[in-house]
Amino acid sequence: MPVPVEPSPDSREPAVRRARDGVVASLALVPSVFVYGTVFGGLAVQAGLRPLEVWGMSLLVFAGAAQFVAVPMLAAGASPLTIVLTTYVINMRHYLMAATLAPAFRGFPRAWLALVAHGINDESFAVAVARRNPVDPWVYLGSAAAVAGAFLGGVPVGTQLGGLVADPARWGLDFAFPAVFLALVAVQLRTRTDWLVAVASGTLATAVALVVPGNWHIVVAGVVVSGVAALLLQPEAT
Amino acid sequence: MRADVWLVIVGMALATYLTRAPLLLALARRPLPPRLRLWLRLIPLAVLPALALPLILLDQGRLVASPAHPPLWGAIVVFVLAGRRVNLLVTVAAAVAVVAALRALG
Repeated sequence: MPVPVEPSPDSREPAVRRARDGVVASLALVPSVFVYGTVFGGLAVQAGLRPLEVWGMSLLVFAGAAQFVAVPMLAAGASPLTIVLTTYVINMRHYLMAATLAPAFRGFPRAWLALVAHGINDESFAVAVARRNPVDPWVYLGSAAAVAGAFLGGVPVGTQLGGLVADPARWGLDFAFPAVFLALVAVQLRTRTDWLVAVASGTLATAVALVVPGNWHIVVAGVVVSGVAALLLQPEAT
Repeated sequence: MRADVWLVIVGMALATYLTRAPLLLALARRPLPPRLRLWLRLIPLAVLPALALPLILLDQGRLVASPAHPPLWGAIVVFVLAGRRVNLLVTVAAAVAVVAALRALG
């Protein structure tokens, strides 16, 4: 087995060091998250939202994919219920991430957990589970702070100046997201079972996404493949 | 203040919180049975490729698996570098640069 280049966080290390590890591990994402924050801010203002509404949505909802979908719906005058339900469906993948992160936060005060829950996002989930599975809560919190800072910093820049980059895809910035997810799954593939689960889930997700619009493919593939594998494998053997 | 817009924003915020908080609060309290722990350990292995692969293989809802599709080459760069335990920042920067260069050429 190759020796990891980056030191893995140790639970005996002080919380501040582990949180910093989470921030550093998230730096690959910060520029893209920031740029997409500016793009969202710019688009939302163009669609007719006021800056305060755009900031409020970003702070209170804090879910980029759902926000990008909601803004044109708002502009087109869709019913509030439709927008809220669409948001819920797009964000259902958070159930899986919350369940995975929960055991790491045993012993944290419940008021803290209520706040930590609000910060759950794809990127920090990916960073935290790849650094250590089960997750280190402080690595996760550091990553969530970095991602939140980048997004919430980018949005007001976008509402005031317009999206800084007219077409992020031209600069490959859209690819930062799948690149991070893929890199983080690659470092976790150790056994043949790991490979089977990852390939099956990626394939099923792609197939579902071809047929069903929206974000259902993440929830469906995530639940079905991990669930089937958990039923078939022996808990002691892993 | 536009009450209708804020109504939608608050509704979206509540709907999103409903996907985040319940399981985090419920499962952080008690020790979990082994098979549930195994399931939770496998979720990231399933969720990460489910996030990544459609972003790489699909373009506006259509399967694009030709060598002229830059994200495919980006994915190969990621896999080779990450497999060699190259730093994540370097890996992602290299992949982004390759995708941008191929798009500029194509």
